[in-house]
Amino acid sequence: MEPKVVSMEMRDYIAEMGAETINWCMQCGLCTNLCPWRQVPGETSEKFNIRHMQRLGQMGMEGFEEELILFACSTCGMCQENCPRGVKIINNVRSMRGSIVGAGMAPANLRPILGSAHANGNPWSGPRDKRTAWQEGLDVPAFGPDTEYFLFVCCHSCYDPRSTKVARSVAKVLKHAGVSFGVIGAEESCCGESMRKLGDEELFQKLAQSNIDLFNSKGVKKIITTSPHCLWTFKNEYPELGGEWEVIHYTDLLAQLLAEGKLSLPKGMAKKVAYHDPCYLGRHSKIYDAPRKLLEGLPDVQPVELNRNREMSLCCAGGGGRIWAEVPMGERFGELRITDAVENGAEMLTTACPYCLNMLTDACNSLNKQDQLEITELSELLADSIG
Amino acid sequence: MEKKMGVYICTGCGIGDALDVEALAKVASGEFKAPVCKQHPFLCSPEGVAAIKADIDGDGVNAVVIAACSNRVMADVFNFGPDKLVERVNLREQVIWSHPANDEDTQMMAEDQLRMGCTKMNDMQPPEPFQGENLSKRILVVGGGITGITAAKEAAKAGYETVLVEKSDQLGGYMKNVFKLPPTQPPYDEIKETGLEAMVEELNGLSGAKVYTNAQVAKISGAPCMFDVEIQQNGNTATERVGAIVLATGSEPYDASKLTNYGYGSLPDVIAAPQLEAMFKSGSVTRPSNGETVGSAAFILCAGSRDPEHLPYCSAACCVESLKQAKYFKDENPSTPVYIFYKDIRANGNYELLYKQLQKDGVTFVRGTVTGIEDDGSGAMVVSAEDVLTGSPIMSESVDLVVLATGMVPTSALGEPYKAQAPKEGEEKAETPADTILVSNLLNLQYRQGPEVPGLKYGYPDSHFVCFPYESRRTGIYPAGSVRAPMDYGRCAVDAAGAALKAIQCVELTSQGKAVHPRAGDMSYPEFFMQRCTQCKRCTEECPFGAINEDEKGNPLPNPTRCRRCGVCMGACPERIISFKNYSVGMIGNVIKSINVPDEYDEKPRIVVLACENDAYPALDMAGIRRLSYNPWVRIIPVRCLGSMNLVWIADALSKGIDGILLLGCKHGDDYQCHFVKGSELANIRMTKVQETLNRLVLEADRVRLEQLSITDYTKLPELLDSFSERLAELGPNPYKGY
Repeated sequence: MEPKVVSMEMRDYIAEMGAETINWCMQCGLCTNLCPWRQVPGETSEKFNIRHMQRLGQMGMEGFEEELILFACSTCGMCQENCPRGVKIINNVRSMRGSIVGAGMAPANLRPILGSAHANGNPWSGPRDKRTAWQEGLDVPAFGPDTEYFLFVCCHSCYDPRSTKVARSVAKVLKHAGVSFGVIGAEESCCGESMRKLGDEELFQKLAQSNIDLFNSKGVKKIITTSPHCLWTFKNEYPELGGEWEVIHYTDLLAQLLAEGKLSLPKGMAKKVAYHDPCYLGRHSKIYDAPRKLLEGLPDVQPVELNRNREMSLCCAGGGGRIWAEVPMGERFGELRITDAVENGAEMLTTACPYCLNMLTDACNSLNKQDQLEITELSELLADSIG
Repeated sequence: MEKKMGVYICTGCGIGDALDVEALAKVASGEFKAPVCKQHPFLCSPEGVAAIKADIDGDGVNAVVIAACSNRVMADVFNFGPDKLVERVNLREQVIWSHPANDEDTQMMAEDQLRMGCTKMNDMQPPEPFQGENLSKRILVVGGGITGITAAKEAAKAGYETVLVEKSDQLGGYMKNVFKLPPTQPPYDEIKETGLEAMVEELNGLSGAKVYTNAQVAKISGAPCMFDVEIQQNGNTATERVGAIVLATGSEPYDASKLTNYGYGSLPDVIAAPQLEAMFKSGSVTRPSNGETVGSAAFILCAGSRDPEHLPYCSAACCVESLKQAKYFKDENPSTPVYIFYKDIRANGNYELLYKQLQKDGVTFVRGTVTGIEDDGSGAMVVSAEDVLTGSPIMSESVDLVVLATGMVPTSALGEPYKAQAPKEGEEKAETPADTILVSNLLNLQYRQGPEVPGLKYGYPDSHFVCFPYESRRTGIYPAGSVRAPMDYGRCAVDAAGAALKAIQCVELTSQGKAVHPRAGDMSYPEFFMQRCTQCKRCTEECPFGAINEDEKGNPLPNPTRCRRCGVCMGACPERIISFKNYSVGMIGNVIKSINVPDEYDEKPRIVVLACENDAYPALDMAGIRRLSYNPWVRIIPVRCLGSMNLVWIADALSKGIDGILLLGCKHGDDYQCHFVKGSELANIRMTKVQETLNRLVLEADRVRLEQLSITDYTKLPELLDSFSERLAELGPNPYKGY
């Protein structure tokens, strides 16, 4: 075998792209063993080894460019949370992707996604003027100088037919609870969280800057997000670019209102409901209790815990740009979640993230368990409760 | 001493319920005519002990036989002072806890154990401590590096005069050429000054510390507390009398010229770690080839260590030493590319934080085997390796300097064998046993077995470190620092303090006439009945501790303060002239003869078990504590070490009609567990001679068996004892029964 050549220049380049902690890695391999890919069979599972990938980055050596490897990580954070050296593994992943995508070598299946985000401000090829189509018949207030909260609806819930129900439900419940909120609308752009994870730093900077300019010009002070992904990037990545607001996920706000007695949930639902912790709400944002409090607040609901929950929750596979990946049946993490829920006797699996809703629904269908298990988003249950 | 025997039978802990104590008492008062024989329901209680003391004080009892629990418990309770003899008969752990209650055989066993105890008492005298003349409590430290300085300092500060001998003109040893040290305090990520000057200054300021520089130990004669040391300094000879010795002569870096596979010698910019250290110390770090500054470097760890071709062991300090040297480069210029090629990074404890810091500093760590170091054509070098972590061969970028982290060789491993090893038939070169004494010119001991301390492995004069830290195989000589085992600066200092304490323990106990280790406090020692000595030299040859010298005629010259009281000499002596006041060949012979051997038609065989006091005997106790049961034919006799077994005991037992003899000793061989290093091995060798004895008696060799047993092996005991008994049943009764 020809020796692979070590390149300090390449290593330093990756480090400059954001993999500042790549040298901290001592290659213990805990990351690889905690990776959800170990839970499923298949080619990606066999090829993708996060420890190995970081090693290549550390040495500036070739071998990580292969699409199946480079884009496998769903950035669920399971490894990063447990890394004994505190390595920011997700930053390493996005930097290594960035070294390829930034050079104009994004994989073919991602090009339309990134292109749409460039052109339309959303990755779903939806026209800008349709961004508020989900509001039809709801009388959602527009954000104005007197509005307390700006409600930022995830692009997925603006355009995906199934997901728009999340946007509608969140708006409905907020109104019911008397929250002062409004939507800006067509000028909003995708938060860019997934674009950055895919390594398109330039696109992320563009989207973020456009949002920051827009929100600031509208006088936004507080933001409610429907998606934990938007929440995370607004809170963790926007501030250093000039976007500093009070950002809250809708579950967090509604749980507070419920506790304060400002939100009533009159109608019950006699069902066993399991809650799936989204990675970006749970591990990344440490919000575990708010959605559970809301679920428990629904009359007659019997909450069920999945075997893997809270800090140990298993990823749905939708983060890190994986929502656009084609994965063969039998290799989808979501299928493990469906099985977990069914085995625990749940009749419904609910979550608090549009990506999770999407991935879990697909998994439930691929396992043909639709009759046994209903997949919902928590806001939908809240909206049903208030009638 | 005129003895008055008192036998005390405890009926507590179930002994009274399981045995016919009246019948037992008759053995003492009848067969042995003990003037005092009493029973007590709770002998170790204050009342029980008071009853014994009352007899001692009021009735003149001075030989106390306690028939109760094992001698491993309540030793302090049943201690009535050095002039009162005490013998313990183990009725609890080894009789009633391992055998059915109120059973004829159990009762016979108890009675035999009592007979054996009383016999021993009859043959015993109170030990008189050995008192030498002109005893010294001073401590000699050989070697003035970090270990020697620390040992001398610690001992002097504890109030013991010290004499330090250093061969060069300055104290400091290897440290003199060291630029800086790895971190020893939080946050453990920065290197620090050596602090050598302050250490030397402190030592020089201590009133009790005498230092010889430019000096060597020419000769050491004598024994603990009576060592006479000849020191040669600048052509003059000084003499010092000392009590104990700390050997702190350190180590040498492994000879890098043997590492041609890493280009040493052929590529001028491949250097050894001490050379780099010297460069930094001098302030000029340049490439030997052209004198230009070093812009990049690669370290090769385990260069010569953990390598069967060179040093098979881990040198323990080189990983951290290389991390430290890498830090020199990074501190000077953070962008200097530095590679570290390693097998495993062994940066224990807080050194992990230094390792972590260097990872953060961007040092490239490559785990795997270095396969080549080549000139890249421009005068710099590229390093190729099998990278374990990517599973592929890799090649570094060009580096200006390659540093070999050479391991360490103890100074005790240098020199030729004291006794030449004759090659075995068919072999070209004789294999040198690990414990061969080398003439390494460190201590120059006037010991019959050789002038230095024997090694344990790889020439390190260590003992069994897990069980006996700091011990060597020479009483009163404590190796410390990198001569004892590979270690770094910090551990050397700790080791030195430990060795200083051991030396202090030695001079204190020895001056009181007590054994130091492992029978600390034992006042008995072997005495030689010289009139019958045949100068066979077995005792002087076999003593594992070199305690016995010889005169020109081959007569043994014992040195009681070197002795560990194991009795190996007693076991070795064919003339049986070596005995202790409370342990002798005749005594154990009589103990064996006191066993009641029933007629062969009774089908009650008898087995003598000679059990090593250190592991086998406690294991037998453990079996009792766990209520494991085994056959009632065994009669257990504790021995100081299986090496003290004299072959005459086997003859005594067999001619008495005993059906079999089982020897329980410690594991011997490479990772031996014998407290006296060689004892169980010597017993095993003597076993081969048993064959002759048995043949002479027309008996089966299987009647004697040796088993190796560690204290944790107690669960194996029932099987071990019973399978031996079954084998004896197959052989049938000893034909000498009844004669």
